[in-house]
Amino acid sequence: MTKYVLKRLLHGLISSFVVVTIVMIMIYTMLDRNLIFATDNVFKNYGNNEKTAYMYRKWEEYGYLDLITYNDYLLDLVDKGELDEETQKKVASIGKKPENDSELTAEYVQKFNDWCAANGYTVTRLNAIMVTPKKYANGGAQQLFAAKDLPVTHRLVKYVTGLISVDNIHFVDEDIDLGKRGLTFTLHDPVYGGDKFAPAIIGNGTYHKYLLYVDKVFPYLHQNLVTINLGKSYAVNAGIDVFDTMTKKQGSYVMSTMTFPTGLTEESADDLHSATFVYGSMAANKVNSDRFTDDYTSVSTYKAGKSKVGYSFTIGIIEVFLVYLFGIPMGILMAKKKDKFVDKLGTAYIVFITAVPSLAYIFLFKAIGGKIGLPTTFDMESTSKLIYVLPIVSLALPAIGNIMKWLRRYMIDQMNSDYVKFARSGGLTEGEIFRKHILKNASIPLVHGIPGQILGALVGAIITERVYTVPGAGNLMTIAINQYDNGVIVGMALFYSLLSVISIIAGDVLISIVDPRISYTGKAR
Amino acid sequence: MENKDSLFTVEGMTDEELFSLVDHNSLDSEKITAPRYSYWRSVFRVFFKKKINIVILAVLAFVILFAYIYPSLISYDRFGNLMDASAKHLKPGAAIKKFGFSIHWILGTGASGQSTFDAIWTGSRISISLAFICAAINMTIGVLVGAIWGFSKKIDMIMMEVYNIVGNIPMILLISVLVLIFSPSFGSMVFALTCTGWLFIAYFIRTQVIIIRDREYNLASRCLGTPLTRIATKNILPFMTSVIVTLLAVEIPSYIGYEVFLAYIGMGMSDMSLGRLIYEAESAMVTPGWQFEFWSPVVIASIITVALYVTGQNLGDASDPRTHM
Repeated sequence: MTKYVLKRLLHGLISSFVVVTIVMIMIYTMLDRNLIFATDNVFKNYGNNEKTAYMYRKWEEYGYLDLITYNDYLLDLVDKGELDEETQKKVASIGKKPENDSELTAEYVQKFNDWCAANGYTVTRLNAIMVTPKKYANGGAQQLFAAKDLPVTHRLVKYVTGLISVDNIHFVDEDIDLGKRGLTFTLHDPVYGGDKFAPAIIGNGTYHKYLLYVDKVFPYLHQNLVTINLGKSYAVNAGIDVFDTMTKKQGSYVMSTMTFPTGLTEESADDLHSATFVYGSMAANKVNSDRFTDDYTSVSTYKAGKSKVGYSFTIGIIEVFLVYLFGIPMGILMAKKKDKFVDKLGTAYIVFITAVPSLAYIFLFKAIGGKIGLPTTFDMESTSKLIYVLPIVSLALPAIGNIMKWLRRYMIDQMNSDYVKFARSGGLTEGEIFRKHILKNASIPLVHGIPGQILGALVGAIITERVYTVPGAGNLMTIAINQYDNGVIVGMALFYSLLSVISIIAGDVLISIVDPRISYTGKAR
Repeated sequence: MENKDSLFTVEGMTDEELFSLVDHNSLDSEKITAPRYSYWRSVFRVFFKKKINIVILAVLAFVILFAYIYPSLISYDRFGNLMDASAKHLKPGAAIKKFGFSIHWILGTGASGQSTFDAIWTGSRISISLAFICAAINMTIGVLVGAIWGFSKKIDMIMMEVYNIVGNIPMILLISVLVLIFSPSFGSMVFALTCTGWLFIAYFIRTQVIIIRDREYNLASRCLGTPLTRIATKNILPFMTSVIVTLLAVEIPSYIGYEVFLAYIGMGMSDMSLGRLIYEAESAMVTPGWQFEFWSPVVIASIITVALYVTGQNLGDASDPRTHM
């Protein structure tokens, strides 16, 4: 069984990566790459040549191409010892037009061109754009750089290898001196003043300062050792990984009195456990040097709300619970009273909820809910639990209809089978037959869907979250698509496909536990 | 007793006239006679036995005919009243007062002073066309591929892999990318919805074929040397008719729902479909007095989908030969 599950998991993993490959081919090669700037405000502020240079820089950052500027090339030569720094400074400034280059510069520009041609790079030289002979136009300075498109395979390999990163003491560049590198284990976490018993592992030379620590938030023991990188966002949450976007808390800051490493005590929302390394940041500004004793200064903050996935899951899991709580008894009732009034009423409900576009009834619920005084827009600051009612109801009612439909169908199918007739002739009461035989057999196909329902709660719901303005994860994909945020799209595609693979396997395992007749290991399949 | 007598005695006729000796004919005795049975006539007999079906079919026919005929009779100009500020967002009463009574104004006016009534029928025509075209393409390809998929074990292995992968590509992503690459037109929407949509139908049909394929009567048929094509067309297809009709009942309305959904998240087509009408009137829902322009397309979309769904479901029930007894 374990072997079978592992095999399926491996298979599923491979299919997920094929999905990611297809998605990557779709969005990186089929879509116009200029689209990623659609919602970029920095881009709008740049003009002329600088705009072009900015576009190339961003394309490099998001993995479209490999960019090398003329200056990078020269510095590289200096590193190799083929050029001394003095000459480098001389030749670095190129003329407004190629014909204005000094002789020496022209020689190195030619070298750059040759090198690019040899390595498959395409050189772009933008001449200066002038307003007057002396004055540059906005962003009109001359530019010289070369770029090479990266193939999707290269991108895929990079993506897959970068998916999971393990923090280590050699993370910070070896040239930077930060004292002795290493991991220290302490029983008294300095964040809590150093007296309280709180085990922690603190790293020096790692990206995160705290690799393992405990706090008062579920699940109490936290780690920063292994990080999941699903893909960097461009527009939705600039520069932040999708996984963080989904799991970081939202809402207003939670202030508390805390003691910083320097001993400074202040009201702050900073989460010192999240400190990450930024080179030179301590000396860079007064606030940091007042608070920190090293370059681990980049911290996230405590916030009052839940994360995106947190909101979606809270709503989703309550919904799943309600669906089974109401759907199963109603499905049973319909099957028991087949062709009676209850059955007809239930069928009418099922027809309504399956046929009517989901958008229509969600708005209907919103209108009705608003009339009876329920909050119709989600507010993270609100302490009232009533804000959850409408989203949960809107999700649960169609799902209940679905469960009713299938349970009724399965039960009626079972009612006509021979073993039921045999049980009846054997003298079992109708109640016993229903409970012990029909329901058990009819519920097996439904059991298969339970893991999918629970994991699906993590994904969230697109329309419901949009209509009630829930800050959940369901909308992330559509927002990303609307803003052409390719990193988020790829990350979400992988997340979705992994969840669906896992839920199908979990469903298969679950039914083999519930139904002993189902076996995946035997030969007779 | 009276009955029995009346069966065998007829007034004014002798026994000789009534009864004559029939020779034993060995050729005739080989013929098997059964009451005449026509499949489709039985389907419709069962279907029309329920009065509700007649009502819903009438509603459906009316809506579809109206959606196709009405917009072609009027010349709907969305921005006809754009310059007239007093024509915007009118309630039905106010609109009739302003423009005089005509069928155009019975549902009021929309954001650019256009007639809501005209808008919803123009939108219905596009949405219904989309649903029927997509369903026709997807069902044709899906049923054909599904049948082959179900019969061949080799193809099954390949197709299951394809299904596992394509089924996991987020649908909204695929559609939006395709719409971006081409244009948000009717044609590219049809292409986006049918590009992978047939696969899910094919998978459903494949499962049904596998269930029926190995039944005893097919095994017997194969043992007697019936060719595979004959088994497929004579043994399996009749079984599948009711499944296909039921599936169609779910499919057609689902495209209307899907179009509404896509338009709502801003990925729909540029044509004035029902979904786009709902999307554009969303803000009107919460504004007092403007509700008509939001609820009209919602209600008409619901009527169309429910009527299609119920008709299809009941036709699916009626096309199951087991209900013909």
